[in-house]
Amino acid sequence: MAAETTPPPGADIRAGDTAAHGDHVPAGTTEVAAHGSESGGLPQFKFEHWGGQIVWLFLIFAVLYILLAKVFVPRLRKIQDNRQATIAEAVNQARSVQAEAEAQAKAAQAEIDEARARSRSLAADAKAKAAAELALSQKAEDERLNAQMSEAEARIRGLRDQAMSNVRGIAGETAQAMVEKLTGQKVTAAEIDAALTAQGAA
Amino acid sequence: MADPMHQFEIQKIAGLPELAFTLPGVGVIDMSITNSTVAMLLAATIVVGFLAITTSKAAVVPGRLQVIGEGVFSYIDDLVAGIIGHEGRKFFPFVFSLFMFILAMNVLGLFLVFTATSQLAVTAALAVMTILLVVGYGVLRNGANMYKLFVPAGVPWYMLILVTPIEIISFLLRPVTLALRLFGNMLGGHVAMKVFAGFVVSLGAMAAGGGLGMLGIPGAALSLGGVVALTALEFLVAFLQAFVFAVLACVYLNDVVNLGHHH
Repeated sequence: MAAETTPPPGADIRAGDTAAHGDHVPAGTTEVAAHGSESGGLPQFKFEHWGGQIVWLFLIFAVLYILLAKVFVPRLRKIQDNRQATIAEAVNQARSVQAEAEAQAKAAQAEIDEARARSRSLAADAKAKAAAELALSQKAEDERLNAQMSEAEARIRGLRDQAMSNVRGIAGETAQAMVEKLTGQKVTAAEIDAALTAQGAA
Repeated sequence: MADPMHQFEIQKIAGLPELAFTLPGVGVIDMSITNSTVAMLLAATIVVGFLAITTSKAAVVPGRLQVIGEGVFSYIDDLVAGIIGHEGRKFFPFVFSLFMFILAMNVLGLFLVFTATSQLAVTAALAVMTILLVVGYGVLRNGANMYKLFVPAGVPWYMLILVTPIEIISFLLRPVTLALRLFGNMLGGHVAMKVFAGFVVSLGAMAAGGGLGMLGIPGAALSLGGVVALTALEFLVAFLQAFVFAVLACVYLNDVVNLGHHH
């Protein structure tokens, strides 16, 4: 920093060199050479201008730095943080809504399953009940029919027995009449009956 | 035609009061407003104006201007975080100011007649300021461990005899290279542009003389093309040098922030 105000002897020489080069570059004109000798070296190495520039630079940079550090950087940081927070919040919200929807769908599915199971059991119950009723009524009908049948059979048996006994009577009378005719002898009904029974037994 | 070095002359703005004060041990500091001061003030004003406009709405869904402002911000923010790491955030305002200020001065130099960053006083002051921050923060943070900056870990002692002086020299040269790189690029570019522009005028004048001088016309056209091409190149250089300055400031800060452990 000390070099800013008191130029080292080397600086002059270097500045002189560069100036000589500077004169050579625009070789097309003569005016330039005249100007070049007038300025004498790079203007940047005129150290009397350094102090003011450096102090001004520090002042301006300090103001700029403070403005940026205290106002603009926090503001930009806040914008970006806000945006990130907003996005994160929206994503979270979407996620929770999705979870809620999923839970609702699951609940609905469970409800449907339950209803289906209930209806199935209801149907099975109805079927069982109907079958039981059917079986019961069938049994009653069967019993009734059986009773009727056995009653009819008994009646038939009675009628047949009666008919059979009638046949025996007729057979006895016929036999009595035949014996009387053939032999002229009177045969009692008891004798015929005994003979019939003996015949039936043989 | 003008001298290509004329553009670098410091000139006081006429009509403004002369200011000066005496700094003890240094001498009289001439604080008069010069073209250099105006260029710096204008650059700083443009930076502040740009940031004020781009951040005025501060919408979550950004407008066009806000996208530009946030783009520059994120660009340097990523750079600082990438080089220094998560601790880089406290240096971000400094690096961001540095980048924006240098970029504004460089670009302004392409529109105005004066480029503040082509003044060695300006670039040297910026470089010294950066290195002072590096050294100051380094000593504050690492204390006596600062010597590790010059003694790389894991190097055998007989190599250190060679390595340590090299490290010290390279550290001392950092502000010099930082200042000269920016200064040299700006100086060279503007001199080249001025020289080519001078050719256009002088060859054109030759052609105006008639006769064989008419041969100057293609030369003048060529020079004009050169000026156009150089102007485009200088826009690139203006951005690149500001970026390089910011990157190197980050690299040097990283050396003292993460002293001893490379990441």
